[in-house]
Amino acid sequence: MSLTALLVDGLTVRFGSFRALDELSLAIDYGEVRAIIGPNGAGKTTLLDVISGITRPKQGRVLFDGAIDLTGLSEAAIARAGLRRKFQKPSVFEGLSVRQHIAIGADVGFRTRLDAPALEDRVGEVLEIVGLVDQSHRLAGELSHGQKQWLEIGMVLASDPKVLMLDEPVAGLTDEETERTAALVRALKRPDRAIVVVEHDMDFVERIADRVTVLHEGRTLFEGSMDKVRADAAVVEVYLGR
Amino acid sequence: MNRFGLFSLTAPIVHLIGLIVLVALAMAGLAGTEFALSRYLANAIGQLAAFAVLAISLDLIWGYLGILSLGHGLFFALGGYLIAMYLLKHSFEITGTVPDFLQFMGWKEFPFYWDGFEFFPYALAAAVVITTLISGLFGYVSFRSRVGGVYFAIITQALVYVAMLLMFRNDTGFGGNNGMTGFTVLFGWPMGTSGMITALAVVSLLVLAGVLAGCNGLVKSRFGALMLATRDDETRLRTMGYETLRLKLIVWCLSALIAMLAGMLYVPQVGIINPRVLSPELSLEIAVWVAIGGRGHLVGAVIGALLVNAVKFWLSFAAPEIWPFILSGLIVLVVLVFPNGLMDLAKFKLMRPMGPKRLAADMGEARP
Amino acid sequence: MKLARFVLFLVGLVAGGPLLAPTARAQALDRAGLIGNLCGNASAMGEAAAVLTGLAMSGDAADRAFAVPLARAVIDRKLACDEAGAVLTESGLDAVTRAPRPAAGEARTPVLSLKNRATYELADAALALRAAPEPAQRAAALKTLERRPALIPEGLLDAAAASETDAGLKADIETLAQTAALNAADPAARIRALARIADTPSRRALTKVSALTTDPAYAASPDFRAAVDDATLRIERGIAIGDVLATLYNGLSFASILFMAAIGLAIIFGLMGVINLAQGELIMIGAYVTWLVQQGLRVAAPSLLDWYLVLAIPVAFFVTAAIGIALEASLLRHLYKRPLMSLLATWAVSLFLMNLVRVVFGTQNLQFETPFYVTGGVPVIGDFIFTWNRMFAIAFAIVTLALTWGLVRRTPFGLNIRAVTQNRDMAACIGIPTRRVDMMAFGLGSGLAGLAGLALSPIYSVNPQMGQNFIIDAFMVVVLGGVGTIAGTVVAALGIGQINVLIEPLWGAVAAKVIVLLMIIAFLQWRPEGLFAVKGRRK
Repeated sequence: MSLTALLVDGLTVRFGSFRALDELSLAIDYGEVRAIIGPNGAGKTTLLDVISGITRPKQGRVLFDGAIDLTGLSEAAIARAGLRRKFQKPSVFEGLSVRQHIAIGADVGFRTRLDAPALEDRVGEVLEIVGLVDQSHRLAGELSHGQKQWLEIGMVLASDPKVLMLDEPVAGLTDEETERTAALVRALKRPDRAIVVVEHDMDFVERIADRVTVLHEGRTLFEGSMDKVRADAAVVEVYLGR
Repeated sequence: MNRFGLFSLTAPIVHLIGLIVLVALAMAGLAGTEFALSRYLANAIGQLAAFAVLAISLDLIWGYLGILSLGHGLFFALGGYLIAMYLLKHSFEITGTVPDFLQFMGWKEFPFYWDGFEFFPYALAAAVVITTLISGLFGYVSFRSRVGGVYFAIITQALVYVAMLLMFRNDTGFGGNNGMTGFTVLFGWPMGTSGMITALAVVSLLVLAGVLAGCNGLVKSRFGALMLATRDDETRLRTMGYETLRLKLIVWCLSALIAMLAGMLYVPQVGIINPRVLSPELSLEIAVWVAIGGRGHLVGAVIGALLVNAVKFWLSFAAPEIWPFILSGLIVLVVLVFPNGLMDLAKFKLMRPMGPKRLAADMGEARP
Repeated sequence: MKLARFVLFLVGLVAGGPLLAPTARAQALDRAGLIGNLCGNASAMGEAAAVLTGLAMSGDAADRAFAVPLARAVIDRKLACDEAGAVLTESGLDAVTRAPRPAAGEARTPVLSLKNRATYELADAALALRAAPEPAQRAAALKTLERRPALIPEGLLDAAAASETDAGLKADIETLAQTAALNAADPAARIRALARIADTPSRRALTKVSALTTDPAYAASPDFRAAVDDATLRIERGIAIGDVLATLYNGLSFASILFMAAIGLAIIFGLMGVINLAQGELIMIGAYVTWLVQQGLRVAAPSLLDWYLVLAIPVAFFVTAAIGIALEASLLRHLYKRPLMSLLATWAVSLFLMNLVRVVFGTQNLQFETPFYVTGGVPVIGDFIFTWNRMFAIAFAIVTLALTWGLVRRTPFGLNIRAVTQNRDMAACIGIPTRRVDMMAFGLGSGLAGLAGLALSPIYSVNPQMGQNFIIDAFMVVVLGGVGTIAGTVVAALGIGQINVLIEPLWGAVAAKVIVLLMIIAFLQWRPEGLFAVKGRRK
C-alpha cells in the first residue's frame, strides 16, 4: 500500500469564467487527519466534489492509492473503491429509518452480501459509535440537526472507508456536540485510513487535524500544522483575521 | 422476509388485498345465481380494477422513486393495442369477420406485423418485449443524462402526445383514428356474455390483488428502501456506491409493464381501443388519481383510482359536462389543502404515512 | 418586381412597336381618315382595323375612348357611311365629331369580308379589354381574345394588365399574355417571350415552357431550343430558390409563434421552477380577447374595426396578465417548492379555463375580420409569396422579443427577476420582495401568452382546444433552450420551428413532431441542462 492516499495533481475547475480550482495540487497520506480551511469560495467543497466524482475537472487528475485516477470514474465506482463523503448540508433519506441508513451504508448492492447476523452486528456497532442506538427505528426526517450530522457520518463510516471526507461536520452543532464529534473523528483515525475535514471552526480543526491546508482562490495558500497556520501572515490576512 | 420492516397482519394493505380477493371470489361464486351482479356493475368493477392497477404502476415510480411520468398512458395503450390485435386476429380465425379498419383502408389481409398475434402467448410476449424495449430505451437515455423532475414529466408528456399523433394516422395498420373494435371471441369463448364479463372482472380483481401484493413486497424490501433513498437524495445514494441508474431503470420498466398489464385487462372489458387513450389528458388524470389517493401509499393509489373513476362513471350519465369542472376543483383541493391526498384525511392512523407530514408533502420533489 | 415588369413592357413597346403596329406610333390620330378607311374597300378596312388595335395597345386615352364603339359598330352593321363621313346609327352620333346628326343622303353600311371579320373582332375585344368600364365586360373581351392567342399583338396584354384594377382579371390577363407570346408566329417574339417568362418563375410557367419541347420549332430551330432550355433552367432555379425562401419564411413565422408561446413559460420556469400547463389556455384566452375587442369595435366604433388587432394588444396583454397574477396569488404561491404538484395544479387550471370557454362561447372556430394589413402578400420568386399575416406574426414576435429583452435587462424589475432566478435566498436577503417579483413575473409570462394568442389569430383557427396544439411544442422549446434564458428560447424556437417546417413536406407533420422529439431527447444526452444552462456546484 502506498503511503499517499490521495494525490491531487494540477486540478482546474471552472464555472463559467470563475475558476473554482486553479491548478491545485496536494497530497494526503494514510493515517493522517487533514483539515482543509479557507474563506468562502476558496474551492474547498469543489475539491471534495471532484474527488467524489460529482464535478468533472477541466484538467488535472486525482490519484487514489497511487494508481487509480478518480476523475474518470462514476460517483458509485469511486464510493465502491473505498472513498466516502459526508456532505455540507446534512444529506439523509428522510423516508427511511436510522437503522436502514446504516444498513445501506454498510453493505453496497441491491441485495445484501453480508449474511444477516454479520450485518446486524455491523449496524449495531456503528450505531454505538455515533450514539444513535436509541433512535434506530425513528425516521431520519424526525431527527434533530446534530443527530442528522451524526447519522450521515455513521452512514459513510459503516463501509469502513479508506478515505473519509467530512464537509463541515460540526456546522450548527452545540459545543457539547462539537466536543463529541471531535472525539469521534480522532477515534476514527487509523494507519490505513485518510480523513479529510473541511471546517470553519478553528478550535475544532486544531483539536483534530494533523496537518492543515489553507485554500485561497482555488490554490494552496499554506500547508502545515495548525500552529504554523496561525502564525502565517498571509493566512491571517485572507482568512483568520487579526 | 426482509429486515427493514415486518409485514403486519393489521396493515391496511393486507386488509385491502383480502377485501379484493373476497370480492373476486364472491363474484365468481355468485355468477349465474340470482344474487349475481348486473352486467353493468360487474363490468364497471372490472374496469375500475384495471384503472387501480394503472394507478399502482404510476405510484411505484412517482410515490416511491420521485419520478413523475405524464406519459404512462403510452404503456397502458401498448398493452391495450397488443391485446386488441390478439382479439381481432383470434376473432377473425374463428368467425372470419374482417376488422372494420382493414375494410376501411381497402386492405385484403392483415399487415405482416400482425402475424402470430392469433396466439395469445405470442401476443403477451410481444407486449412484454415491446414495452420493456420502449421503456428501457427511453428510461436509459433519460436517466443516463440525469433528466428528472419537471423535465422528465414534460418529455414523457410529449412522448405520449407524439404517440397519439402517430396512431391517429390511418396507414399505420393499427386502426387509425377509429381504433380497433368488434372483438367477438376470447380464448375461444364468445365475448359480451355475462359469464365472460364476470370472468374478466374476476381476473382483473385477482391481478390487482397480485400486483398489490407484489409491489408491497418490493417496496418493503431492501430494494424498496433503496428506492426511497433515491427519491430523497439520489446523489447521496450514488456517493455511497449505488448505481441509481440501474435501480431507476429497473423500477421504471417494471412500472411500464404493470401499466401495460392494466391496458391488457382494460381493453377486452370496454371492447374498444383508439388513440384517445394516448391523449396527454388521460396520462395526467392517472397522476391525479394517485395524488388524490396519496403518493407513496399503494393503498392510496388504489383508493384514489377507484374513487375518481367511480365519480366519473356516475357523472358520465348524470352530467358529463360538469365533470371537467369537478375534476379541476378536486385537483386544486388536493394540491392546496390535502397535499398527501386522502392520507391526510386518515388522521385516525388507519393508514400510517411513510414519513412526517411535512416531508411527505414534498417527497420526490427534487429540483430538475 | 412590378417595376421590372413595367420596364420590360417599355422595352417591348420600343422594340416590338414599330414592327407590328406602325400606325400606332402616329403623333396624332387622323380621326376623319380612320372613319374614311372604315367606309372604304376591304384593304382600307383592314388598315383601319390595325389602327384600332394599335389604339387599344398604345394610343392615348382620349383616342382610345373615341375608338371603342367603332369596331363594334362595324361588326354589328350599325355604321352608316354617307357623304359627310359616317354616323353611328345606334346612338345617332357623327362617327368623327360625336355630335348628334342624322345620316345624310344615301347611307351605306360597310360589309366585312371573312378575313376582316376576325381582325375587327380582335380590335373590338382589344379595345373593350382596355377601355370597358365594367370588369365583366373586360372579362368577356379577354375570353374572346383567348380563342385566338396567336393573333393577339405583342404588348396589348401587357398594357392591359398594367392598367387593370381587378386583381383576378389581372392575373388572367398575365397568364394569357404568356401563352400568347409563347405561341406567337414570329420566332423572335417567342424567344423574347421565353426570356420574359423566365424572369417570373413559377410552377405554372414551368409547365408552359416544358410543353414547348414538343413544339416543332424545338426540333427545328437551335436558337429556339436553346431559349427553351435556358428558360427551363432559370425557372427551375427560381422555383427552387422560391421554395427554400418559402420554407424559411414559414419556419420563421412558426418559430415566432413558438417563441411567443414559450417565452412566458421560460421566464416562469426559470424563476419558480414551475411549468405552467395552463399557458396554452392563456394563449387561447388572448385570442378570444382579441375577438371580443373586434366584436366590441363592430358595435361601438365600426370605423376603427380594421385596427382591432392593434387596439387589442394592451387588452389581451392585461387580461391574461391579470389571470396569471390571480393564479399565482391564489394557487401557485402555495406550491412553491413542489414543482410536480404545481404541474397538476396548472393542469387543473387549464382544464377549467378550456371548459369554461367551451361553455360560454361554444366549440366552433371564431370568425375574424382580416384587416388590409394582414391580407394578401407580395409574390417574390417562384411560388414564394411574402404574406402579410405571417409577417405580422414575425414582426410582432420581434417587437415582443425586443421589449422583453429590454424589460429583463434594462429595468429594475428585470434586475429583480434575474436576481431571484439566480439565487432566490440571496435575493431575499438583500431585500428584494421575491413574492412580489414572482407575482409580477407570472403576470408578465401570462401576458406574453395572451399576446401570442393575438399574434396567431390571423393565421390559425381559434377555438377552445387551440392551446393544446402549441403547448407541447412550447415545452420542447423551453426544454431545449434551457432554464429561463431569453437567448435559449429564441434559438430553440428558431431551431424547432425550422426543423418542423423542413421535415413536414418530406414526411408529414406527424413525422416532424416525432423527429423533433427524438432530436431533443438525443440533444439532452449531450447537454442535459439545455442550450444555455448556468453551471454551478451542488448546493
